[in-house]
Amino acid sequence: MTRAFIGGIGLCAPGLDATSEWLTTFPGITDSGEPSEVLPAALRRRASPLTRMAATVAAQAARQAGLDLARVPLVLGSAYGEIVAAAEMIRSFGEDEGLPSPTRFHNSVHNTAAAYLSMATGNRGFSTALAAGSATPAAVVLEALAWLRSRGGEALLVLLDELPPAPFDLAHPYPTAAVALHVSAEPTRGTLAVVSGLRRGIASRPDLPGGLGAHPCAGAFAMAAAVARGQRGALGLGAFDEDGWLVDVDAVRVG
Amino acid sequence: MDGSRRPEPHYPVTAFAVANALGSSANAVAAELEAGRSGLRPCPFDLPFETVCGMFAGHLESLPPSLAGHDSRIARMALAVIEGMAREVASAVRRWGSSRVAIAVGTSTGGILESERALRTHAATGRLPERFDLDRQHAFHGFLEVLRARTGARGPAYVVSTACSSSGKVLGTARRLIAADLADAVVTGGVDTLCDTTLRGFGSLQALSRRPCRPFSAERDGTSIGEGGAFLLVERNGEGRVLLLGVGESSDAYHMAHPHPEGLGARLAIEEALRHAGLDASAIDHVNAHGTGTVANDAVEARAIAAAAGTAAAVTSTKCYTGHLLGAAGATEAVFAALAIERGVVPATLGAEPLDPEVALDVCLEPRRGRFRTALSNSMAFGGSNVAVLLGAPR
Repeated sequence: MTRAFIGGIGLCAPGLDATSEWLTTFPGITDSGEPSEVLPAALRRRASPLTRMAATVAAQAARQAGLDLARVPLVLGSAYGEIVAAAEMIRSFGEDEGLPSPTRFHNSVHNTAAAYLSMATGNRGFSTALAAGSATPAAVVLEALAWLRSRGGEALLVLLDELPPAPFDLAHPYPTAAVALHVSAEPTRGTLAVVSGLRRGIASRPDLPGGLGAHPCAGAFAMAAAVARGQRGALGLGAFDEDGWLVDVDAVRVG
Repeated sequence: MDGSRRPEPHYPVTAFAVANALGSSANAVAAELEAGRSGLRPCPFDLPFETVCGMFAGHLESLPPSLAGHDSRIARMALAVIEGMAREVASAVRRWGSSRVAIAVGTSTGGILESERALRTHAATGRLPERFDLDRQHAFHGFLEVLRARTGARGPAYVVSTACSSSGKVLGTARRLIAADLADAVVTGGVDTLCDTTLRGFGSLQALSRRPCRPFSAERDGTSIGEGGAFLLVERNGEGRVLLLGVGESSDAYHMAHPHPEGLGARLAIEEALRHAGLDASAIDHVNAHGTGTVANDAVEARAIAAAAGTAAAVTSTKCYTGHLLGAAGATEAVFAALAIERGVVPATLGAEPLDPEVALDVCLEPRRGRFRTALSNSMAFGGSNVAVLLGAPR
């Protein structure tokens, strides 16, 4: 398998205790949900909470990796996508004229965050939006590695999910959170970690703070945590059963 | 992209299957296309406006007992469609080994129809239906799991969901997964069902016609929505019904719901597909256009096709037969393009007369018979996501 090199990370997990363990160990990782400078005001006003989080983490990773968001290929991953907007829209069918607002409708597609990032940065290149339940991080890494191996260069991975709203109560709730990872085919001076050895394997759900271990993108948060902690070793990307994927992460310790 | 003309590997599409409002097999669908018979009918959904739509024509059987918890219209439809190439998929799994066969499938609706039903029940009774399961029936991974179980493919498996370009982009994913040696065969395709969300959503955008849509006509006044699916089996090597020559993917970076006025993103996608193929625009014999029948799309797309693919190709839009299949449109129309290559017939664009004078393309007003060696299929989506799939006759 081709190796990939992580050059930047972004994390947004509003409500998570920012002073806890690995969150403080790494400059550039914050739990802040502050409006991102990436989205101009007109787009920010129309953007869903999930899309605003995507812009926040993309901006963080871009800053750390010295990345041009107008040119980088984007791979978005989410198990449920814009499920809050979708559920609100379905409820609105029973009200008034029975038609959703046009903005709510086009904001409910799975690629909404990728589209807003493209519009905000003028990026006319490749982007995609994937889903595979708790194997979503594995899908994103597979798509990114396939991209890097066939095209070279770099890619920005953005993984995010919000909690499905009531009455869709999940057995294992999780915090709404997003993570971004910049990956490249070649190492750079700012490389934070090397990723290699993608393979099938069984791993247990990662032990992460604030309920992130139950998040559909837990495998990606675990990768960010491993980089932040300067860890070395195998890591489960999900799914966390016999259909799981493992990857080796060798982090360059910083800070 | 280095601008060189060196072609990339051309992987064979060894099997395909399609089913929608026109019929439940590729042969039945092709016969309707070539006869010029539309599958669009008055929409049976209870909507606050009038429109037509393309209901799935085949019988949808309930899921086998082992998958009963995953029961949904989209899962039933996925199984009904993939049955059309079940033998070839089984053969690929035997040939390459199950872990080397991937699944990349596109959808925009997933199982949202089931959530609509569940939320209606909840509004009336205060409880969700007892059997409703968000993960198995609504979420994209629900019907993905059904496809994994049915095919026995145990390689990479994921859904691509970029609205109406979803199931064209899975062909790009297939090329890359094989080129990167992450798979030897990829079951690609797409499935979407009719639902209130898309019907009312496009209604709110005033994008739906009351009558069957009329792509490229000067009198076009909106699109029609349909449901169905298509699958294409792409392999590292083997005997292809057609070859996958290239897949261009781009973004408009312009607007969530309106295409770039000059079709810039669509042009970039077509040009990239040609680069993959190592071909010039003059080599394109046939274009199955996105051709939704909305005023904005068809004019913009015509400009993009003329700029990137030239004006010599035989152009048609098949949305006047099936309705816009949204997340299933890319794969469905790639199969239609493959059928045109195999059968030597490009279907007429129904209702295209009088042609929009702004459309400077050779739009087929009657079925066109001939030898079509290469065919392009375009899909343009919400968020400015574009894909152009270029297929060729086997050598």
